[in-house]
Amino acid sequence: MTEELRKTYHEQLEAVREAIIRMSGLVGETIPRGTDALLAGDLAEAQRIIEDDDVIDAMSVDLEESCYQLLALQQPMASDLRAITTALWMNAEIERSGDLMANICQATRRVYGSSFGPRIRGLIAQMSEEAARLFRLAIDSYAEANSGLAVALDDIDDRLDELHLDAIAAIFEGSREQTIDMQVAVQLALVCRFYERIGDHAVIMGERVRYMVDGWLPEHSGALRAKARETQIGGVKPGAR
Amino acid sequence: MIALIVVVAVIVAAAGGSIIVGVRRRHTVNQRLDRLANRVSGVVAPASRSPVAAVERLEEVMEAREAEQRLRGVERRYEAALEAVDWGVVVVDESEEVVFCNLSASWYLEGRHGEAVVGQKIDDLIHAAAHGERVSETVTLFGPPRRVLFVSALPIVDSEELSGAIALIHDVTAMEHSNAIRRDFVSNISHELRTPIGAVSLLAETLVGEHDPEVIDSLAERLRVEAERLAGTVQDLLELSQIEHGGNTEFARVVVQGVVSGAHDRVRAAAAHSEVSIEVEMPQQDLEVRGDRRQLTSAVFNLLDNAIKFSNPGGGTVGVTVRQAQASVEVEVVDDGIGIPRQDLDRVFERFYRVDRGRSRTSGGTGLGLSMVHHIVANHGGRVLVTSTEGEGATFTVDLPVAPTDISTAVPAATGDDAAAVAAPAAPGDSTVPGEGNP
Repeated sequence: MTEELRKTYHEQLEAVREAIIRMSGLVGETIPRGTDALLAGDLAEAQRIIEDDDVIDAMSVDLEESCYQLLALQQPMASDLRAITTALWMNAEIERSGDLMANICQATRRVYGSSFGPRIRGLIAQMSEEAARLFRLAIDSYAEANSGLAVALDDIDDRLDELHLDAIAAIFEGSREQTIDMQVAVQLALVCRFYERIGDHAVIMGERVRYMVDGWLPEHSGALRAKARETQIGGVKPGAR
Repeated sequence: MIALIVVVAVIVAAAGGSIIVGVRRRHTVNQRLDRLANRVSGVVAPASRSPVAAVERLEEVMEAREAEQRLRGVERRYEAALEAVDWGVVVVDESEEVVFCNLSASWYLEGRHGEAVVGQKIDDLIHAAAHGERVSETVTLFGPPRRVLFVSALPIVDSEELSGAIALIHDVTAMEHSNAIRRDFVSNISHELRTPIGAVSLLAETLVGEHDPEVIDSLAERLRVEAERLAGTVQDLLELSQIEHGGNTEFARVVVQGVVSGAHDRVRAAAAHSEVSIEVEMPQQDLEVRGDRRQLTSAVFNLLDNAIKFSNPGGGTVGVTVRQAQASVEVEVVDDGIGIPRQDLDRVFERFYRVDRGRSRTSGGTGLGLSMVHHIVANHGGRVLVTSTEGEGATFTVDLPVAPTDISTAVPAATGDDAAAVAAPAAPGDSTVPGEGNP
């Protein structure tokens, strides 16, 4: 704490940014690592990843604490304030992405010993690559304060959504043809959903980065619509747009 | 106005040098020397009592300054040396502030993603080293590409006092890779050889004391099959070793279409047997490369054989395409079979490497086919690449440099030597990453 106080305000802001990047490095690595463990049925590695998630959680708690300290003690304004609130959001999204990989590792235990065919394995590998790519791009957009890239994340996520649909279809097919067990099928469907969620978290990070750079929030368009509806009900005939 | 200046000038001139001397006299020689020393050293020192003391001080200051410059030169040379090594080097002082960090280390310290993980590890180890511990750790980055880094940190002790720490980062990916190849090669070759040997000795044991001619016949037949299998493996190993050393090759102009047709003819029966259709697409115009026709045919045959083996039985399609690239001829073999898992992709060219060991006996083959392809193509100055998505099939692309149009510019022997030089580095550690080590 005293050491923290000695640092200048801008050093503290920079330290928060660096902590986000360091933590995201760990989570980003967990994506291919966890997928390898899942596809190889490596229970020991899966267990290590689940344990390593505690390290990420601890980092996240520290990071949150230092953000609150900055808010309380420095009373930042304008872009500095946005940078800190964005860091708080990023922190939560990154931590959640790490949790999702830990969930996949837990699923590794539950599907252990059952084979699920090259097609599903291939789709899982592709989903993992796509999720990892989105996650990296989200972090890149944050590190570079690149709102253009941040906006593009939503479109880039479409590929992962498509893969998700393909994978669910392949799992259904396997289950129907009884090449995979019902329980395994359910676990695999969940695993695919976890990858898809990592992509969604990356998109949310992109939105937050955009807010950090130019103060825009997706909720703003929703708020505008609500306001428009209100005025319509108040003055203009409903349905007349 | 002008008149006034002239008057002043005349008065000054009339007063002679006495005024100027009077101004100068306010600063004695030692004062001036002191001032000079202060300016040079940047430190204000107490006034010297005599000119000699002042000169001595100035000399001291100049010497110190020269020594400092020499030291800085030495420092710069050391820094240049540390920049030139491909290890990452970080030096911190006793308060753990970074005082030196070469370029490759700064990639980690200021990096994102996987690099940031290494950056954190460097910080952690430096923290321990600054408290007097010698520490090291191996960090695996999953990338892709997968990398293995060895990070170590040690304290700097200056006359029995801790005065900082050094961290070193060494990329050991290639070393780990070749270690894995060596380790697996031994276990794989013993597996490949032991299985038929075990079968032979078991069959022979059963034969002893057997009187039923029918049983004897059937056992003898199985003995023959196992012995053939063993002979096949050894034969392939010998052939591979020959290819690896670039020996026994006859380089001539070879039409690639002829090579592909030859290989196609050899796999027709196997393809029909597994109901896999082969679609060949080749340009009308002959595409020529310099090479050994027999070896090239064997390479394409192995690719086709592999594609058929891993196709979905009954309904698979293998596509072969020959096309002219910029300065090379490409032969692409595509199948829609089970594909290759990502983590095995860069290892399929290793001798005896099997993605799924359980399949090896049912699919037949010696496990040397792709390794042969890799070495043959390397001998021809080309490269072979593989891409695959598990469950969707695999694509192998062989890239061979086109034969020079003017024979006089390329002496056949030179091509042979070049090829040997290309193949040589691959020989001791076996094939590594597809296409590695080729121009």
